[in-house]
Amino acid sequence: MTTALKIKNLTKSFGSLDVIKGISLTANQGDVICIIGSSGSGKSTLLRCINLLEIPDSGDVWVNEELISMTKNKAGDPCPADYKQVDRIRTKLAMVFQDFNLWTHMTVLQNVIESPIHVQKISKQKAIDRGYDLLKKVGINEKAEQYPSSLSGGQQQRVAIARALAVNPDILLFDEPTSSLDPELVGEVLRVMKSLAKEGRTMIVVTHEMGFAKEVASKVVFLHDGLIEEQGEAKDVFNSPKSERLKKFLASNLEG
Amino acid sequence: MEFIHLLSLGDQGWGDEMLRATMVTIMVSISAMCIGLFVSIFGTISKLSKNRLIRAIGNTYTTVVRGIPELLVIYLLYFGFNNAIMSIANSLFGYNQYIELPVFLIAALAVGIISGAYSTEVIRGAFLVVPRGQIEAAKSVGMNRFLVFYRVLIPQVLRYALPGLGNVWQLTLKDTALIMVTGLVEIMRQAHIASGSTYSPFTFYMSAAILYLVLTTASSKALNSAENWANKGVKREKA
Repeated sequence: MTTALKIKNLTKSFGSLDVIKGISLTANQGDVICIIGSSGSGKSTLLRCINLLEIPDSGDVWVNEELISMTKNKAGDPCPADYKQVDRIRTKLAMVFQDFNLWTHMTVLQNVIESPIHVQKISKQKAIDRGYDLLKKVGINEKAEQYPSSLSGGQQQRVAIARALAVNPDILLFDEPTSSLDPELVGEVLRVMKSLAKEGRTMIVVTHEMGFAKEVASKVVFLHDGLIEEQGEAKDVFNSPKSERLKKFLASNLEG
Repeated sequence: MEFIHLLSLGDQGWGDEMLRATMVTIMVSISAMCIGLFVSIFGTISKLSKNRLIRAIGNTYTTVVRGIPELLVIYLLYFGFNNAIMSIANSLFGYNQYIELPVFLIAALAVGIISGAYSTEVIRGAFLVVPRGQIEAAKSVGMNRFLVFYRVLIPQVLRYALPGLGNVWQLTLKDTALIMVTGLVEIMRQAHIASGSTYSPFTFYMSAAILYLVLTTASSKALNSAENWANKGVKREKA
């Protein structure tokens, strides 16, 4: 089995605040890794360090066994050695954000075909055909010509998932994809995510949806204070947590 | 019905002169606006720069130009440009005669620099309003800096900046009245000359006012449709 993603000794601080204090993690192809933890534990930062939306202070990231090469800029701060490599690898790592972040000046379809046409240089007709297929897959093809502002949050997030899928990524990164949604809209997004997991896609999901993690995750990682406090198969982590902190966290997140 | 005679076209009246002056006002305004937009690109880049010195230059520009009366800016630039050109000509070629720069150029530059300071603030503001998340989303699907700028930032900056730039345009148009002090015959200068020659100041200043109103009203109509176009996707579609 090939390693889809490998992270080694990753650290990140914002000023004097150490957010990630040395995390290593491996995802095999087809893994669905759910990252859980209380707010401020570094979950989102960890995810954003993988596709370099945040530049890690130290540590290495491999995507499909290709190391993202880093160097230091004049000020001595770490930065990517080759931005072209970063742009290329990012299409292998499409991300779905908490706030959807659809481009508001483009229609739903334009959002989905933007990167295939302008980054991956796929022919327009091919991109449009594929775009409709993807919108159908997330159940929103009849809104293709509308602008994001006329869609509900759940619909926008499904478009964002289609946009991420459009670049044909090997790994999908989800950054709290349901946290901005009204409760009644969470289900439609989780359904799409579950179907993606069933297809065997590799997914790294930062989430507060314990039910989703329990059902779908092949591995659950519990972060606390910038470190992995506990990790393992979903049933082990949820049914027989070892660390006191995880027990407490689960107790307050699973009730009700 | 004296004013009809005064404003008639041809040798007897001042109508054709006023129309020609209107053309000059339009040309100066458009040139100044373009110069201002060009300047504001650099103004915005410098004000958003991470480099403290570059940022200071941008801030000084907008603070100084917006902080002193526009008439004074025009005087300073008018005499400043002439002196600068003359001292350059003198030191490089030993030429020490009085040089007068084309007054249209000076006028367009002077108003352009004023207009640029206001455009800079508008465009900088518009840049800051574009949600960072949309830029991150663009990066996350592999767009390089150029694509992020050109496909995601620019269309939205335009949308947010258009109403403000419409204001700047109206200011620019009206600021061209101040350059009558340089001797360029635009609407204001022409009205001044005509009222001096005919002893009918009210007629000519009133027609100047109407000419400015026609120009500003026509341009705000044009701007409205530009805004509607740029705002596609923002308003909910009508059911």
